[in-house]
Amino acid sequence: MQNSAATRMQLSTPRACGCLELRDIFGSHFDLSMPQRPTSSLAACVWIPLFPLRCEEARREGLASHPTALLAPDLSRKLWQVSPLARHTGVRPGMTVSQAIGLCPTLRLCEPDPVHYDERFARLLAALNEISPVIESGELGLAYVGTDGLEGIFGPPEKVVKAIECVVRGTWCVRIGLGRGKFAAWVAASRAKPGEAIIVPPQGEKKFLAAQPIAVLPLDPDTHRRLRQLGIRTLGALAALPEEAVTAQFGAPGRQLWRLAAGHTVEPVIGRNAPEPIVAALTFFTPVGERDLLERALDQLIARALKHPRRIGWRVQAVRLRAEIEGGRSWLADILFKDPTADAARIAAPLRTRLEQAPPPGAVERLVLELTAFAPGTAELQLFARDAVAAARAGQRRALESAAREIQQRIKRSCLYHVIEVQPWSRLPERRYALIDFEP
Amino acid sequence: MVAPSRAPLRADRLRALNVPQSVAVECDVEDRPQTVGDVTVATVLESWRIDDEWWRQSITRCYHEVILDGGRRVVLFEDVATGEWFAQMP
Repeated sequence: MQNSAATRMQLSTPRACGCLELRDIFGSHFDLSMPQRPTSSLAACVWIPLFPLRCEEARREGLASHPTALLAPDLSRKLWQVSPLARHTGVRPGMTVSQAIGLCPTLRLCEPDPVHYDERFARLLAALNEISPVIESGELGLAYVGTDGLEGIFGPPEKVVKAIECVVRGTWCVRIGLGRGKFAAWVAASRAKPGEAIIVPPQGEKKFLAAQPIAVLPLDPDTHRRLRQLGIRTLGALAALPEEAVTAQFGAPGRQLWRLAAGHTVEPVIGRNAPEPIVAALTFFTPVGERDLLERALDQLIARALKHPRRIGWRVQAVRLRAEIEGGRSWLADILFKDPTADAARIAAPLRTRLEQAPPPGAVERLVLELTAFAPGTAELQLFARDAVAAARAGQRRALESAAREIQQRIKRSCLYHVIEVQPWSRLPERRYALIDFEP
Repeated sequence: MVAPSRAPLRADRLRALNVPQSVAVECDVEDRPQTVGDVTVATVLESWRIDDEWWRQSITRCYHEVILDGGRRVVLFEDVATGEWFAQMP
């Protein structure tokens, strides 16, 4: 769990943003020459382990006092999350239902409701947003709060932690860690007892990290095994090795691990922009179970969402497909596009695959498509980008102009040219085309 | 070809493209290129002649599109007025 959370934390680190002037999805101006998203090097990690299971316990009275397990949100019918009481009886995630019942006959099984978990997590993030504008979400139940400057509002770090606790603790039993950079904060949260907080003092990160086991690093099993075989049990032991030696043994990932262990890597919390999603929904007269019908409905929803006026000039970066299933259950598929797109077929493809490989576990009463994140398709005002192709073309042109400007600034003279037609009809080849300085 | 920018077009900013380069050419008895510099002509693909701009300064050229040893394709022409040979990209 620790490993997976730490890995997710690294993966969720956003890329640097460009330096352009754009309009945002709501049409208001913003200047990307300033960082597009707010950041904070001081981080508080708020962690609620087994968040989906806790959501079930919160809405079903008495469930917490029984050994409980949550089924995986796919068709495998294997266990996804297991409560500590169930774990004591030997039940583990990944087991089949029959194996688990064999070990613990009183085990209570819950069907997953990912939409509910997502909504609860969104509410948690919104609550944290009242403390700080810089919130970064990790996996379900893991969030980072940027705390730079909060001492002016709340006072010393202890008071900041108290304020966070006040916001979330009424509902959840959280673990909080506070330190410089997300990694130190995450490690502190993972070492804190339930309902407690660990604050890593400024400049004390190295000392704090040195005593932690290597399992807190985002390691693959092979690297973990090799480190243990080398007798390295703590981050301090790893950091005590020369950086070059670790790099030589484990390559670039090893260097990253060494830098994390030595406290040299300080990943800031990067706040999110949460534009209002574009939503298209379809309610079926009778619940639908056939995949063909669902796919047809999906195509309709995508077409409808892409036609939305706010989408024009923007490419879609993330979509979410939700299904409300008869019997009060739900199904959820989140897709993040590496290459943002405005092409209906490209948006539909991964969702179709998801419908095929992990279909809703029952007949669907309502299907909802949300376009949740967007990337600019153009640097021009979005009004001028009439369709996705024009938007993409304008985006390419802008990228070219930006690169040309940078080259010109670096070498102080023009060395890029357009080829232009001068007398394309001429019988003398040298008169047909000419070069002209490229001035972006 | 890259589309022109919105910058105004000025003749002094133009750079010629595919400017003829002076080369030494030896011809056979039929006046067909045999060697270009030190390289032998493998094949003459096509030959043609142009007479242009006779109303101001006449341009008369005999063109030969050739393939050199090694496979490089070149367009050669002889300026009939001066007898000089030039090479151009096809």
